[in-house]
Amino acid sequence: MKNADTSQFSKAIQEIKTLKKKNWSKRKKKEAWWGLLFVAPFIIGFLGFMLLPMLFSFYGSFTNYNITSQMDFIGLANFKRMFTQDELFTTSLYNTAYYVLFNVPLTAVGSVFLAVLLNRQIFGIRAFRTIFYLPAVLSGVAVYVLWMQLLSPSSGLVNTVLSWVGIDGPAWLFDPEWTKPALILMRLWSVGGSMLLYLATLQNVPKQLYESAEVDGAGFTRKFFHITLPLITPIIFYDIVTSTIGAFQIFQEAYVMTEGGTGGPSNSLLFYNLHMWNKAFVAFDMGYAMAMSMILFIIVLTLTFINLKLAPKWVNY
Amino acid sequence: MGTFEWKKYIKRGIMLSSIPLVLAACADDTESDTTSGEDPSANDTGDSGNGGEVAELEFWSFWGSGSRRETIEAIIEDFNSEHDNINVEHVYQPWGDIWTKALAAIAGGNAPDVIVQDINSVRQRAEAEQATNLEEYIEDESFSEKFYPQLWDTVLYEDEAYGVPFNTDTQVIFYNKDAFEEAGLDPENPPATWAELEDAARALDIESGDGYEQIGFYPRWNIGPDVWTLNADEGVSWFDDEGNVEINTPEKVAALEWMLEWQDYYGRDTINQYEAEFGSGVADPFISGLVAMRGQNLNYYVNLQENAPDDLDFGVFRLPEYEEGSGHWTWGGGFVLEIPENTDNPEESFEFIKYLTSTEVQERFGMNSFDIMANIEANENLTTHPELGERGLEMYQMAEKSLEKTVITPVPLTAPDYIPLVNTQIDAAFLGELTAQEALDAAQESVENLVEQNQ
Amino acid sequence: MDLSKQAPIEQAGKKVNEKHFKSRKRQQFIGKIIVYIILIAVSLVLLAPLGWMVSTSLKSMEEIVSFPPTLLPETFHWENYAYTVKAFPFFNYMKNTIFITAFVVAGNVLSNSFIAYGFAKINFPGKNVLFALVLATMMVPGFVTMIPQYILFTKIGWVGTYLPLIVPSFFGSAFYIFLMRQFYMSINNELIESAQMDGANHLYIWSRLMLPLTKPALITIGIMSFNGAWNDFLGPLLYITREENYTLQIGLQSFQNQSTTQWNYLMAGATLVMIPTIVLFFFAQKYFVEGMDLTGGTKG
Repeated sequence: MKNADTSQFSKAIQEIKTLKKKNWSKRKKKEAWWGLLFVAPFIIGFLGFMLLPMLFSFYGSFTNYNITSQMDFIGLANFKRMFTQDELFTTSLYNTAYYVLFNVPLTAVGSVFLAVLLNRQIFGIRAFRTIFYLPAVLSGVAVYVLWMQLLSPSSGLVNTVLSWVGIDGPAWLFDPEWTKPALILMRLWSVGGSMLLYLATLQNVPKQLYESAEVDGAGFTRKFFHITLPLITPIIFYDIVTSTIGAFQIFQEAYVMTEGGTGGPSNSLLFYNLHMWNKAFVAFDMGYAMAMSMILFIIVLTLTFINLKLAPKWVNY
Repeated sequence: MGTFEWKKYIKRGIMLSSIPLVLAACADDTESDTTSGEDPSANDTGDSGNGGEVAELEFWSFWGSGSRRETIEAIIEDFNSEHDNINVEHVYQPWGDIWTKALAAIAGGNAPDVIVQDINSVRQRAEAEQATNLEEYIEDESFSEKFYPQLWDTVLYEDEAYGVPFNTDTQVIFYNKDAFEEAGLDPENPPATWAELEDAARALDIESGDGYEQIGFYPRWNIGPDVWTLNADEGVSWFDDEGNVEINTPEKVAALEWMLEWQDYYGRDTINQYEAEFGSGVADPFISGLVAMRGQNLNYYVNLQENAPDDLDFGVFRLPEYEEGSGHWTWGGGFVLEIPENTDNPEESFEFIKYLTSTEVQERFGMNSFDIMANIEANENLTTHPELGERGLEMYQMAEKSLEKTVITPVPLTAPDYIPLVNTQIDAAFLGELTAQEALDAAQESVENLVEQNQ
Repeated sequence: MDLSKQAPIEQAGKKVNEKHFKSRKRQQFIGKIIVYIILIAVSLVLLAPLGWMVSTSLKSMEEIVSFPPTLLPETFHWENYAYTVKAFPFFNYMKNTIFITAFVVAGNVLSNSFIAYGFAKINFPGKNVLFALVLATMMVPGFVTMIPQYILFTKIGWVGTYLPLIVPSFFGSAFYIFLMRQFYMSINNELIESAQMDGANHLYIWSRLMLPLTKPALITIGIMSFNGAWNDFLGPLLYITREENYTLQIGLQSFQNQSTTQWNYLMAGATLVMIPTIVLFFFAQKYFVEGMDLTGGTKG
C-alpha cells in the first residue's frame, strides 16, 4: 500500500493535502474515529470473550492449576520441568516442527496448482471444483479408513503405484520414520480448503492480461509466473501465515490415528498439542499445559513476526 | 426447542439490516427458546429432602442408541415411577467426549447429578475434588461386598468411596471351532498355557504363497504387551499396589521376548499388512476367517452375535497361563457411577446409583445389553438366566471364571500420562532397535522420572 | 502490473500470421484434453472416500465386517437411511444445526468484512498493534482457553443456550479478518479516495462499493464458516445441555460406543449430513463468476 504510487489521482490528492493542511489534522482525527468504529466489533469481542480466558491461561502457566481443586502459584516450575525433565516435550516439539516444515510449503504449492487448474471456463468445471473441494468437507472416520487402506504396506494403492516405477514403498503408518510423511500426504490430499481462497482471488485477475499475453505467445509457465503469481501474493502470504499457525496446532488427525492420543509408533505422531492435551485432560495438569501453550505462542509469534517483516519484499498489494 | 419456528426468526433476521438488531434478536430468541421449561443445571430447587419437593436429577451416559439406551431409559422410567420425590432425566453425551464435557461442567459449576465415568480414573477425580465422597451416603456396611473386589478397589481414594462400579469387561480369547477341527485340534479343549497356545497357533496357521491364508494367533492384536506382561507377572501391572514402578521385572521381560518371537515367526510385513487391513476396525479378521484365535474383550460376543454369519461356530477361553499354575491373569476395564462435586441433591443421586447397581437392575441391564455387570450376584444370576440363550449363558459363565483373575489397572496418581513413555520403548523393541530387556529398562527409567516430576 | 504496458503486446499479437494461429488452436485443444485427463484422474482419487461412505451406508453390518471388502453392496439396504433418521431425531437436529449455522454465517460474513475494512483502508493510531492482537488470538491453542471460556459463559448464564456458538461470530474471527484484509489490500485506494471526494463516508463506501467488489471473498468466507459451523462438534458438545437442542454432529456420534460402531448407520448419517454442504458449494460458485465483472477495481 505504501508503494510509491505515481498515478494522477494520488498526485492530486497530494496537492490537496498540502493546500489544506489545517483541515487535514481535523480530517485525520475524523478518520481515526471511523477506523475505531470499524474495528470496534473486534475490540468488543476480544474484551468480552477472549481477554479473560487468555489472561487466565497466562496466569495459569505459573501455577499448578488442575482445573477443579488447586491453583497455587509455583513460579517458573512448569517451564523448568518442561526444559529439563519432560522427555516428551522435545519429542513433540520435534515432530511438530517436522510437520510444519513440510506441510506449509507443500499445501501452499498444491493448492495454488489446483486453483490454477480449476480456474477455467470449461464444461463441467463446477462439478470438478465441487469434487476438489470435497476432501475439505469430508471428516474423520471415512477418510481415515480410506487412508489406512491406501497406505497399506504391501497391498495399498500408494505402494502399488510406487512399485510400477521400481520403488519399494515404505511401511508408512507402521514405520516411525514414515508416519509423519504419511500424515503430510494425507493433509496434502485435502488442500481443497485453501484452494478455495486462491480460486476466489483468481477471479479478480483481469482476463485481458492473459489474452494479450497469449497473443504475445506466452506459454502456461510464463503466464503463471508473470501474471498469476504476482497477483495472488497477498493470499499466498495469508495462506502461509495462517497455515503455519494451524500446522503448529495439528491435533485432530493425530488424535484419531493414534487411538486417543497415545502417540503412534515410537511416539512419532505425538505432536505438541497432543502432548498438551494429555497433560491437560489425562493428567489434569492444566497449569503445565498452559505453560506449554505459552511456549508455543512465543514460537508462533516469532515466526509470524518474521513473516510480516519479510512480506514487503515479495507481497504485491 | 419443541414447536420452535426458526423460519420466522431467520426471516426476521434478514429483515433487520443493522447488525446490533440482528444480534439482539438472536440473543432473545435462543435464550427464550432454550431456557424455557428447563433446567436442572439451574438447580433452583435447592434444599433436598423438603417434604413434597421433587428433586430433579440429570444423568449423563454415553449410551446413545440401540439396546443400552432403550434399557437404561426403561429402567429410569421405572425408577421415577417408584420414587415420588425424585425425577431422573437421562441425557446422552457422545462416547469419549462425555468426560471432556463433564470436566468443563464441573469446572463451571453446573455439573449433572450423576455421570457414567471411566473406572480407571476415579482416584484422579477424587484427588482433584471432581467427585463427591460417597461415604456418608453408604449406610449399609456390606454395600461394597456386592461388587467384585478389584472393581470396588478402583473407587477408593484414601480408603473412601468416590464412585460405584456399574459394569466391567475382561479380556479373553475367541476361537474358531471349525478351524480347530480342520487343524486336528480338539475344539472342546482350547489352549490353557502359553506353550499350548503357541502349539495350537502353529497347527492353525495356513500358509499360502508369501503370506498366510489363516493366521493361528498373534498376541499383539487387541491385547497389548501390558496384558501379556501382567499375565506373566502374576497379575502385577506396570505399577504394583503401592504405586511402585514394576516395568522391568524378569517375568515381564520374558513376556515381551515371547511376543517378539511371534513377530519374528510371522514376519513384520505380514503383521503390518494385517494391521493395515483391519486396524481401522471396519473389517473383522476373526469373522472373516483370517485369524483362528483372537484376543478380545468378552463383550465382543455382542459383535459376533449381531454381525457374524450364523454358521460361525466359535468358543471362548481364558487368557492362558504363563506357566502351569501361574494363573489365568487378564485385564479388564469398566465404568462407574459418580456424583460430581457440589451438586445439589447428592442424597437423591446416591439413591439413584443404589438403584442402578442393585442386583435386580444390574441383571436387567446385563440381560439386554450383554454387558458384564459389576454386581456379583447379578452376573451369577445371568449364568443361569432362563431367558438367555445358550450362547449368552456361556458368556456369563466365562465372565464369572475370567473375572476371578481379572486385574483392573487404575491410572496411577503419580504418573497419569505414562502410556506414551512405555509405548515408545516397546515399539522400539518391536522395530528391532532394542532388546526386550533394554526396552523395559528404558521404560522403567522414563516412568520413574515422570513419577518424580509429579511428586 | 500496469495495464498501459500491455498495449504494445496486444498490437504485436495482431500481426501473428494465420498458420501460426491454427497450430496454436490445435495445441490448445490438446492442452484441453490433458487438463480433462488430469481433472478426471484426480477426481477419482478424491471421490474414493465418498464412494466408500455411500457404499458402506448401503451395506449390512455382516457385509461390512467381512474381508475382503466388497466394492458395491451385495444388496442395497436403502432402509439403513430410514433407520438412521429415526435412530436419533434427525430432522430436529438438522433444524437446530441450520439455525446455528445461519446465524454464524451471517455473523461472519458481515462482521469480518466490516472489521477488515477498518484494518485495510483506514488509518488510525494503534492500528498495527491492534492487528497484531488479531493475529495473536489465532496463536493461543484452544485447549487452554476452553475451560476458562466455558467458566466465563457459565458466569454470564449462556451455557445451555446457542449464544456461545452464535454471538462470537458477530465480533469477527481472526482468520477471516486477516483474509478479508488481504482482499481489501489488493483493491485500489484511489477508488475509495475518489468516493470520499464525492462526499461519501466510510460506512457508505463499505456497504455500497466494497461489499459488491469483494463478493468472491464474501462467498468464500460464507462457505468456510458454513462448513465450520455445520461440522462443529466441540462447541455444541460443550454448550448445549439438552438433547432436543443437539446438532447433527452430536447425533452422528450415537452410532459409536465403547465396543461397537454401527458403520452402516454412521455412514448413512454422515452422507446425509454432508449433502447440504456439497449442494451449497456447487451453487455458491455462480457468484465467483459474477464477481469477475467488477475487476475494474483491482490494481493491475
